[in-house]
Amino acid sequence: MAEVFNWQLNRMMAYPYEESRPVRQAAAVFDTNKCIGCQTCTMACKTCWTSGNGQEYMLWNNVETKPWGSYPLAWDVRELELLGPQNWDGDTYAGKTIYEAAAAGEKNIGWIPTDMDYAYPNRGEDEVNVSITTQRYHLKMPHDMWFFYLPRVCNHCTYAACLQGCPRQSIYKRQEDGIVLIDEERCRGYRVCYEACPYKKVFYNHTTRVSEKCVFCFPAVEQGIQPRCMRNCIGKIRSFGFLSRPEEVREDNPIDFLVHVRKVGKPLYPQFGTEPNVYYIPPIHVASDDFLTMMFGPGCLDAIDSYKKAMRGDDPKLLAVLLLAVSTDRIIHRYKLSGETIEAWDENGDKVVSMPLKVPTLERVPYDEDLEVYRYNIT
Amino acid sequence: MSPTVQPISRRSILKGAAATAGVAALAACAPDSFDGSGIHVQRVGRVPDDDPNHHTWGAAPATTVALGPQDMVLPQKLVPSVTEVRVRALHDGSRIGFLLEWDDADVNDLTVRNEDFRDACAVLLAPGEADAALRTMGAATIPATLLHWKADWQRDVDFGRKGLEDVYPNRSIDVYTPLWNVAPLDVEIGSYVDAGATEWLPGLHVENPMSAAEHTTPVEKAIAYGFSTTFTAPTQDTRGRGVRTDKGWKVAISKPLGGADEGEMAFQPGATSTCAFAVWSGAFHDAGSRKAPSITVHALNLAP
Repeated sequence: MAEVFNWQLNRMMAYPYEESRPVRQAAAVFDTNKCIGCQTCTMACKTCWTSGNGQEYMLWNNVETKPWGSYPLAWDVRELELLGPQNWDGDTYAGKTIYEAAAAGEKNIGWIPTDMDYAYPNRGEDEVNVSITTQRYHLKMPHDMWFFYLPRVCNHCTYAACLQGCPRQSIYKRQEDGIVLIDEERCRGYRVCYEACPYKKVFYNHTTRVSEKCVFCFPAVEQGIQPRCMRNCIGKIRSFGFLSRPEEVREDNPIDFLVHVRKVGKPLYPQFGTEPNVYYIPPIHVASDDFLTMMFGPGCLDAIDSYKKAMRGDDPKLLAVLLLAVSTDRIIHRYKLSGETIEAWDENGDKVVSMPLKVPTLERVPYDEDLEVYRYNIT
Repeated sequence: MSPTVQPISRRSILKGAAATAGVAALAACAPDSFDGSGIHVQRVGRVPDDDPNHHTWGAAPATTVALGPQDMVLPQKLVPSVTEVRVRALHDGSRIGFLLEWDDADVNDLTVRNEDFRDACAVLLAPGEADAALRTMGAATIPATLLHWKADWQRDVDFGRKGLEDVYPNRSIDVYTPLWNVAPLDVEIGSYVDAGATEWLPGLHVENPMSAAEHTTPVEKAIAYGFSTTFTAPTQDTRGRGVRTDKGWKVAISKPLGGADEGEMAFQPGATSTCAFAVWSGAFHDAGSRKAPSITVHALNLAP
C-alpha cells in the first residue's frame, strides 16, 4: 500500500497505487437545492448509453430521494455500516476509509448488490415524514418532514475503488482529464469493481458479461462539450468543468471557485476515501445537521451559510458562478463578473456566455388594446 | 444461491444414454491408482474430449489434486470453495486431454443476475519439471498456457446464447435500441450482429471473447506471463465438454500437442512438463483470483 494525500480527508491514507493526479480533473457541482427530481438527466443518459440488451437495469445517472431513496437499495447505508465509526476531528477524518477497513486478503470493504436491489429505482421517492402535529394530518411518519433529491453519476474518483480493485488492471484513469474508464477489451467480468465501488456506479452487463460504467461522455468532453446529463438538466443545477490540482486552484475557474474558493461544493460521503469528483451544494432545509455532515463532511454547514448568503444577494460572485450552470453546452474554463454582467469563455478563448446577473423584468399592461384582450401573463 | 433451472437438450439426452454405457465400461477397466509422481498422461487412440463419461478416460490413472487457498494475489480466497479435484490425462499423439471431476452441489451456469457467478475449472500448462515458480500464472519469461472451462459457455454451446429469458421469463422490455426488423422482445445479442449495430454493446463491439455472440467450445485457451496478464490466445483450438454428475462437475478438456500461438505450451510424447489446476465455485462468488488453486504444481509425464 502506498500513502497518498486525500485533501477531502485532510490527511494521508493508504491506497494501492502512488498518488498520480491527472493534469486536470473532469468534475461537476450539483446544486441539490435546485434539483426537482425530473429525471431528465437520467433519460438523457439512458437513451444515449444504456438502451442495449444487457443494460436493462443500468442507470449510469439516477436521481434518488434522500433520506429514503437509493439505487441500488440502501447502497449507502450498507456501505456505511461496513465502514464502522466515521468520526471527524475538525476537518480531519479520524475514521477508516474503505481501503483502511479492508479485511485480510481484500483490498477494500465491499458488497455485491443483487438483482432485487435494482428492482425499485424510485423506492422512497417523495416520502416525507413526521412532525406533522397539526390536526389536519393523520399520518405519523418516522422522521422530520424534509427530503431532497440527490442526482448521482460516477464520481470519477481520484482514488477510485473500482480501479484499484480490478485484479487485471482493466480500469484506468485518464491523465488528461481524470475520467475513469473500463477497458472493454480487457475486462473479464470478475465484478470486483462492482463490489468495490462504494457508490455502486459500476454495472455488470449480463449480455456482454463484462462491466460498464459512466464514461462522463468523454467523446463530447474531448470536444469541449459538456456530458449529456449536464447539458439536459432543465433545473440548471449542474456545473461541469475541470477541477485544478489543489495547489493550482484558479479563482476564475467556476469549478475551482465553487469547490476550493467558496467551498460550497462538497463531496458525497468523503469518508469512503475515494476523493470523489462530483460535488454537491448541500440542501439548506434539512433539519438534521448530523445527517448532512454524514453525507457531505464537516464543512457542509459552512457551505450552506455561504450559499444562503449568495441567495440573499450578499455574494454576487458566487451567485454569478451558480448562474453559469447549464448556461451553455460548452465547457467553461474561465469566467468574469463585470458589474452586473457575467461572461465566460471556453478552452479556445471563445466567449460562450454573456448574461446579466439579474434578468430584467418587463411588465406589460393587463389589457391589450390592439387585440382587445386581457393578458393573463404580464411579466 | 438457488440453483438455476437447467433445460434438457436433445444432445444431453443422447449423451446421457452414452454415459450410462461409458460409466459401466469405466468401472470395468479404470486403473485408478498410479504410483509415479505427478500426473501420468496415458497414450490412447483418441482423446474423447467431447464426452467426459467415455470409457477411454478410464485408461488413465486418477490423481487426486488437493486445492487450497489463493493467498498470493489480492483479492484472495483464503478459504477454498472446493478442496480437491480428481484428474486424469490422456494424449493420442496429436492432442492432450484432461478430465477434471470435483464436488459442487450447486449448478451455476448462468451469469445473468448481478449476483450470479459461474462454475469453472482450469488447467495450467508450462515448461519445466514441476517448476513451482510457475504456480504464479507463469512468469515474465516463461509463459503459462491456460485451458479454462466455463459453465456458462457450456450452457451457450448446449442450448444457445440466451440469458435474460431464462431467469425472467415474464420480463417486459420497453427501451431496447430499435433494431431493424426485430421486435423489442426478440432482441438478443445476435440481433446486434445481424443489424451491424454492435456498437450498442461495447464488449461485443471490441470483440472481447467474454462477450462473443456464440461459443463453439466451452473451453478458452489463454496465455499468461504472471499474475494479471492473462489474455485469450489468438488461436482457439481447444475442445471440451462439461457435464453434471450426482455430486458436481465432470469436465473434459483438450488442446493440440503442438502450440499454434506464441507462448503456447507445446508437448512432446515422453517428455515431462509442469501443470496445475484450479476450480471456481459460482455459489461462493468465485471469479478471477478468487479461486481454489492446486496447492502445488505437478509434473506432467507424457507417455511415449
